[in-house]
Amino acid sequence: MKRQILAVHQDAVAGLVLLLFCALAFWLTTRLETVPAMLSQNVPPTFFPRLVLAMIALLSVALVARGFRRSREARERVEAAVYVTAAIVTGSIFLVAPLGMLLTVSLLAVALPLCWGERRAGRIAILAVVLPLAIYVVFTLALGVRFPAGVLAALVS
Amino acid sequence: MDASGLGAALRLVTDPFILFLIAAGTIGGVVVGALPGLSSPMAVALLLPFSLYLEPVPALALLSALYCAGTYGGSITAILINTPGAPPAAATAFDGYPMAVKGEAGRALGMAAVSSTVGGIFSVIVLVFAAPPLAHIAYSFGPPEYFALAVFGLAMLSSLSGEAPVKNLIGGCLGLMIATVGVDLTTGVERFTFGVPELFEGIDFIPVLIGLFAVTELLGQAQGLRREVKRIGLSALRLPTRADFWKVRWTIARSSVIGTFVGILPVEGGTLAAMIGYSEAKRWSKTPEEFGHGAIEGIAGPEAANNAATGGSMVPTLALGIPGSATAAVILAGLQVHGLRPGPFLFQEQPTLLYSIFVAMLLSNILFLFVGLGGAKILSRISLVPRTFLWPTVYVLCLVGAFGLKQSMIDVWIMLGSGLVGFVLKRYGFGPAPIIMGLVLGGLVETSLAQSMIIFDQQWTGFLGRPIALGFLGLAVATAAASPLRVLFRWIRDRIRPDGVTRGRDDS
Repeated sequence: MKRQILAVHQDAVAGLVLLLFCALAFWLTTRLETVPAMLSQNVPPTFFPRLVLAMIALLSVALVARGFRRSREARERVEAAVYVTAAIVTGSIFLVAPLGMLLTVSLLAVALPLCWGERRAGRIAILAVVLPLAIYVVFTLALGVRFPAGVLAALVS
Repeated sequence: MDASGLGAALRLVTDPFILFLIAAGTIGGVVVGALPGLSSPMAVALLLPFSLYLEPVPALALLSALYCAGTYGGSITAILINTPGAPPAAATAFDGYPMAVKGEAGRALGMAAVSSTVGGIFSVIVLVFAAPPLAHIAYSFGPPEYFALAVFGLAMLSSLSGEAPVKNLIGGCLGLMIATVGVDLTTGVERFTFGVPELFEGIDFIPVLIGLFAVTELLGQAQGLRREVKRIGLSALRLPTRADFWKVRWTIARSSVIGTFVGILPVEGGTLAAMIGYSEAKRWSKTPEEFGHGAIEGIAGPEAANNAATGGSMVPTLALGIPGSATAAVILAGLQVHGLRPGPFLFQEQPTLLYSIFVAMLLSNILFLFVGLGGAKILSRISLVPRTFLWPTVYVLCLVGAFGLKQSMIDVWIMLGSGLVGFVLKRYGFGPAPIIMGLVLGGLVETSLAQSMIIFDQQWTGFLGRPIALGFLGLAVATAAASPLRVLFRWIRDRIRPDGVTRGRDDS
């Protein structure tokens, strides 16, 4: 049984996930605040989202039908580097508040090249210094963007 | 054509600062195009938040120059490493790379630069003359016509080159759904905001654009880390000869017309134009057997066509507010975040801005010829920038760009979420361009539909009394139905034997 499910074409899987998304989004529209027809001029706030969801659902059914008619295609597996990269970029956003943007940028300039197989320490170090410095000069000094300072604020004060 | 507007734009664009921005946009575009994985829509999306610090004219001049030059720049990697810098340059690799292997990389790069320039200039001239009358026609458009036009634009996604039509249409609809987030303007009801105050005004285009184009590509690059790239060096640079140019003169002329026309069609961009340009170049060639082995017409055809599509795609973008390509959709988003409403009123209210865009595109097309011809050797080295340093830098620009827009971390999360979802969707064959189209057109589609329904007193049949709207809706249905009908006809043809007998169940 499990093998049969795995043999389903990717389009069928994508279509089924989209149908689930439509069901969830439709349920969310039922929870939207209702307004009198007079105020909404008979075009309630649910009208357009539901119309679009109906379109997605219809097209998803076509995708599922197409998927079930085809056999599963061999695909490249997602490599470990993708997961690690996704983890690093996600983690970096969590670090912005406590560490500050510039320190986070510096850490990214070390972590991402290392994750991608770069081993030239000198070049990584240069990037880790030059990148936040360039960001500071261009964005903070020239464009006036105020980045979260994080621990650097405490150090400065 | 408004001569006074054009004169004012010429004076404005020759301001040293704007000239500097056009030059920077052009060089930046060529460099971006020469870097594998970086494309002009991504570069324009990355630059968009920073352009907000500029006035609209310099900002849009910069973005337009980047668009033109980036389209040409894609040919550099297509020729040198057999990896198109952007999808519109895919056809260029068919003959460009074999030429490079034969030691004729300089000749191929030179031909790409000249063909792109001619195609680009031709399309800008068409843009200057075609956009104002088209905008004038759009003066008579009411909400039903705008709704029908936007629906036609979305239906054109089904003919977008690349993935399956149904997936492109789903992508467009997903974009429309993203556009519904926020407070409904008619009723003031919050939709899908989950109580997050930053979402009350809706999801900004920019973080989504950055996420879908750049973060998705970053993860895609991580997927291909082990892939070996064979680079062709440029030891001796031999540019195309006069005889080469004479040989391709009609190919360039034909592709310039094809590219401009394909570009004018909503949503269709340079990729389709280049493919048609290539196949037409081969069809009309006296030596079609050389194609795929280093035919110089195989470079001139797609390159003239894809750059001609840049000017062409700006015609519906500026005149009607319907993007002509993925990059044009990003520029359209740029116009909107600058508080401008593309369409006929823009021609009335901001003629100088529009003509500045035209002049910037024209200058960029001329400038990248010199950058391409003069800097071919340097440009060939750009593709040597290690991706282990390039992509972390790109991601940092994503992070800073998404944050810098409103100095809000919510936008950074939206950027990341869009990128992660975009990567998964791409694995399942859903490209980012249709989602962007849907997102950019979402506001127009919903508002014009709601207004139409109020005008028609909730009767859909009201569209039957509006010939222009009905025409666009008919075209939309025909476009969306074309692909399934083709499949159906093929199925019927396969089921019927040559003698006209229908195949039975047992012999199927």
